[in-house]
Amino acid sequence: MTTATERVPEAMPESDGAWRSLRAFLRNPSAVIASLFLVFVTLVAIAAPLIYPEDPLSMVTRPFLWPGQNPQFPLGSDTLGRDVAAGLVWGSRISLIIGIAAMALGVTIGIVVGAAAGYFGGRIDDALVRLVEIFQTTPSFLMLIVLVAIAEPRVESITVGIALVTWPTIARLVRAEFRSLREKDFVTAARGLGYGHLRIIFIEILPNALPPIIVTSSVIVASAILMESALAFMGLGDPNRISWGSMIGAGRETLRTAWYLTAVPGVAIVLTVLALNMIGDALNDALNPRLSSER
Amino acid sequence: MKSPVFKAAAALLVGAALLAPAAEAQQPKHGGTLRFVMKYEPPTLSALNNTSTPTTSAKVWDGLVTYDADLKPLPMLATSWSLSPDGLQYTFSLREGVTFHDGKPFTSADVAFSILRLKAGHPRGRGTFANVTEVKTPDAKTAVIVLSKPSPYLMVALGPSESPIVPKHVFESFDVATPPGPPQHIGTGPFVLKEWVRGSHAVLDRNPNYWDKPKPYLDRVIVRFMPDAAARAAAFEAGDLDLGGLAPVPLSDMERYKNHPRLAVDTRSFAYTGAQNQIFFNLDTPILKEKKVREAIAHALDLQAIVDTVFYGYAKVSPSPISVALSTWYDPAVQPRKFDVNIANKLLDEAGHPRAANGMRFPLRLLFNPFIDARLAEFVRQSLRRVGIDATTQNLEFGAYVKGVYTDRAFDLTIESLTNVFDPTVGVQRGYWSKNFRVGLPFSNSAHYENPEVDRLLEAAAVEVDPAKRKELFSQFQRIVHADVPSVDLVSPLEVIIANKKIRNYARGAEGLGDNFSDVHFVD
Repeated sequence: MTTATERVPEAMPESDGAWRSLRAFLRNPSAVIASLFLVFVTLVAIAAPLIYPEDPLSMVTRPFLWPGQNPQFPLGSDTLGRDVAAGLVWGSRISLIIGIAAMALGVTIGIVVGAAAGYFGGRIDDALVRLVEIFQTTPSFLMLIVLVAIAEPRVESITVGIALVTWPTIARLVRAEFRSLREKDFVTAARGLGYGHLRIIFIEILPNALPPIIVTSSVIVASAILMESALAFMGLGDPNRISWGSMIGAGRETLRTAWYLTAVPGVAIVLTVLALNMIGDALNDALNPRLSSER
Repeated sequence: MKSPVFKAAAALLVGAALLAPAAEAQQPKHGGTLRFVMKYEPPTLSALNNTSTPTTSAKVWDGLVTYDADLKPLPMLATSWSLSPDGLQYTFSLREGVTFHDGKPFTSADVAFSILRLKAGHPRGRGTFANVTEVKTPDAKTAVIVLSKPSPYLMVALGPSESPIVPKHVFESFDVATPPGPPQHIGTGPFVLKEWVRGSHAVLDRNPNYWDKPKPYLDRVIVRFMPDAAARAAAFEAGDLDLGGLAPVPLSDMERYKNHPRLAVDTRSFAYTGAQNQIFFNLDTPILKEKKVREAIAHALDLQAIVDTVFYGYAKVSPSPISVALSTWYDPAVQPRKFDVNIANKLLDEAGHPRAANGMRFPLRLLFNPFIDARLAEFVRQSLRRVGIDATTQNLEFGAYVKGVYTDRAFDLTIESLTNVFDPTVGVQRGYWSKNFRVGLPFSNSAHYENPEVDRLLEAAAVEVDPAKRKELFSQFQRIVHADVPSVDLVSPLEVIIANKKIRNYARGAEGLGDNFSDVHFVD
């Protein structure tokens, strides 16, 4: 970061840095495996209507088929006779959609608030920092439960709710980056050229502040998936859509008699979240040259 | 089978079987602590102005009478009773020598006060005692309930779990609507409230001065409040609980308890509750005004499959507005509409609702009472989707649900658990009587069903003293409602009890676990 950011932005060798980072990322075997797994999950999610054209919530066979008992239902059936495999495939959609959409929304809010606070400083900074503190001092999952309960549980409200409890993390990160970057020479140079605030914030400073945001974003996707699962587990998911969390919540009652109903979606969540965290670590290494050269 | 040794052995076994209960009846063991679990902590143990506490009230407060399993009244605080020929006066002779927990004597003034207080403050008492004009107290041991119209259901509404008799001197200055707190827990019952730790448990100690000597046999009853089903199951297995009702462990787990060395599963049904789950249509929804659509929905539901999958067999198909649990009044001529997807599809096509490109005909909002297992709502939703009705469910907490259905009427179908309690006039009429279509009143006529003939039958049955004529009125009512389809009646869930195998007599009569536990004892 140090070498890149101390130049005037027009002269930034962005492509060089990106290539080096990509190479560093690809040299990390766990990152490659995690990425391949995520690509696979994403493809499955996209292809869900082709793999299982029928509604995954429909009751298609007798209840409590164990995995492997009937080749037509390789992962068995749940307490109402719904196909667990179909639920797993369709559930990946909800988990990924909510994870990515909540992350995108949360990161957008976080960048706007953090950038404004860090760049302008002074009273704007004070006011926005207080706002962030209000959100950060409230237990985030409790706040999420309240928000979703008030708004009635649907995919949209759950997404917005998760975004509302995650943006402060991004905002603080962005604010810290902006505070250190706004005093740099290239920013002074940009000001000297008469650029407007918006251009300086979004075109000059933001690209240089991106690496830590990207790293945190991957972790936020993972935690958003976990939050959605936790909500659905508690019965606050969208009742008309199947998700991995709602499958675990529905299977919890039969944990002693049919443990596969919780284990199958549980493993899916664990692997996906693990993959996202591994990618986050690898991105951190790859985007932070100082750290990688120290190794 | 014919060897003499075998015969002797058989005779011995029969003899032992005859002797054993006799020995038990002679000498119930005194002592012991019963640990009883409730799913939710009620605001009070009393049923005086609260319908969520039928299982605790009787331990502290007696009723005028109690009931055997067939709803025949048995003496409790009243030793005998008679009805005037015109059906307008019930005269009760009261038990001598009964005192409240605070030592004050029980008199007819307490009966008069309690009946009028139930009329004013009990959610069902307002209806049950609506015709009570006054309660006369000619002497300290006689109470006469005077009615403006005959009320044939009154005599079954006087059990301790429904109509507790409370001390006038304690409650006179106590607000009608406030749940009685520990200082007000003073009754004539077999147990005395010792302490109540909010969020955890209540301790009830033996009343040494109970009138029904030598009962009660138990030293203590501990009522524990445990909202989480998994926690209750763990506590039963660990031996920390002796008794619980309303399926205290998940039904999916029940099979394991059937073969448990220490615990027993009891699936008797009790006439006092009349459990019933049903779907009410919102008849203000234009599409549901068409009877063919409502009939199609009834044909799309496989009631036996609901019993087998959603309730794991712990329910009975109950197709009539009067639950099969009320065997006196249920009309067996009312049978479920045949489960047939083709008939349902045909009816919907005929009604002019063809499937669109996505396979759906029209959307409907499906709500459900959150005390019902969400899996029932999922089952109904998927059954409707199968015939092209795009039903969506909403998960609402109880307050939001009641408001959504009964105040905002923002629903098309709702799965209710309008229990029939002990009598159709008290428990069923509220859902079908057109004069009970009252926006904002919970558990009223949510369908907005109006049929003058049904109104007439219900009103006639409410004052009909002759049981045979009353039964005929209710039979006609059931057939008309079944034909009109303002509701689809589904199942009557069993109130599964889990009990320690060493306890006896925890549910002697129609009130089930609303029994006062005075006869409960442990055996070795």
